[in-house]
Amino acid sequence: MPRYRSIFKDETKLDISYVPSRLPHRDRELRLLMEFFSFLLQFPAKMTQRVIITGDIGTGKTALSQRFGVDIIREADKNGTNLRYVHVNCREYRGSLFMILHHIISLFYPNFPKRGYAAEELLRNFLNILDEENIYLILALDEFDSLVEREGSEGVYKLTRLQEMRQNKPQRFSIICILRDLKAIGALDASTRSTLQSNVISLEKYSKEQLRDILSDRASLAFKTLTVSEETLNLIAELASSEGGNARFGIELLWRAGKYADAENFDMVALECVRKAVSSIIPTVRKSDLASLSFHEKLFLLSISRRFKESENDHISLSEAEKAYNIVCEEFNIEPNSHTQLWKYLHSLSSIGIIETKVASVGSRGRTTIIYLSRIPARELEKELSALLEKEA
Amino acid sequence: MNVEDVFSSRLRIKIVKILMQMSELNISEIARRLGINHNAASRHLQVLEDEGILQQKVFGRIRLYRIKENSLKAKAIQNLIETWES
Repeated sequence: MPRYRSIFKDETKLDISYVPSRLPHRDRELRLLMEFFSFLLQFPAKMTQRVIITGDIGTGKTALSQRFGVDIIREADKNGTNLRYVHVNCREYRGSLFMILHHIISLFYPNFPKRGYAAEELLRNFLNILDEENIYLILALDEFDSLVEREGSEGVYKLTRLQEMRQNKPQRFSIICILRDLKAIGALDASTRSTLQSNVISLEKYSKEQLRDILSDRASLAFKTLTVSEETLNLIAELASSEGGNARFGIELLWRAGKYADAENFDMVALECVRKAVSSIIPTVRKSDLASLSFHEKLFLLSISRRFKESENDHISLSEAEKAYNIVCEEFNIEPNSHTQLWKYLHSLSSIGIIETKVASVGSRGRTTIIYLSRIPARELEKELSALLEKEA
Repeated sequence: MNVEDVFSSRLRIKIVKILMQMSELNISEIARRLGINHNAASRHLQVLEDEGILQQKVFGRIRLYRIKENSLKAKAIQNLIETWES
């Protein structure tokens, strides 16, 4: 049996649960979070904090909070403060306050009974346990919207206001609420909302360049050297950017592309592997979309796919595509259409989402249209189109 | 209580064995595992606590029992069980 070879050095670095030691382009937010909670390092019992982290999918909300958790615990350890950071995904507990609290308690008392008392009682027990063990806690409630949805104002209010009802006792826990859209807490009543909304950290979508930095960081941790090219990273960054600046999507794509490369026994993550990975993650072009193209559109797309199949670039120019198209027309013994016509085809193909185009200026004069084929493996596209054209010819 | 009285009950030995495995449990769970009612479990737990073999922590209505830390009696019983069952 041949020995198994892999271009991965450590694929766990691409896992969703991995907390990177560096968060590119989130330094400011991390510092801000540290500022908000710096009191915990000096006088933990005196006050409590509530912070909201919001942002779209894959903007680094969870990673930011978890990174902060690791950092502040390290600082607290130096001080001798018994600070813990607990990260709970509310959706995993179906947004139930009771189940969330039970999960946290079970971290300290693994066999804490599940039945026989109400959420309020559990909440009091939760505080008793923190008192008993002299623990200060930062509770990160990820997918907080599911808790709001399930428990409404009352549950959230209880959680945020609980400590204020305890006279002359130390403040024990602070909360970080993580959610995609602030609108979700609009459903709460005004007083509950006001207890939450004092500190909001909004994470902007990552730009293509930022995504590239993130992917480059992760690739160097997860892959052996020289196995992921600049072009591959650029293509994945482009795709993640078109998915709404979603870094998680990009990282998953990188992992999948690596897996395809391993399966093919490649020494590098080829662009074709990325295209395969994309078509396995997101629904790409349906076959019916291809079938409904005109004959010349099909010929043009066939020539584009052939050009990409042979190229290791993540893009080709319109003039390259045109040359390839002329060759294909010759092959099919048909008169090629004009440049203007091809330009129209390009627009219709990009509006269906088969290809992407960008206008770039070249040197000092003129502009050129650049074509990207990022979502569909060129090989598959060529096969499909050849079959369709054969039927029609 | 004399040593022969403490060891006269199979259930009390079983309770110690369960807590050696699970480290901490509430009364209902101990009763369920032994197949006895809450009162009986509670009574045996009381004996073991009075003898300084177990300790309990109370959270509202919930009482969690565990083997008492630094108790010589508890250590001796654990040693005995471990030697016997190994």
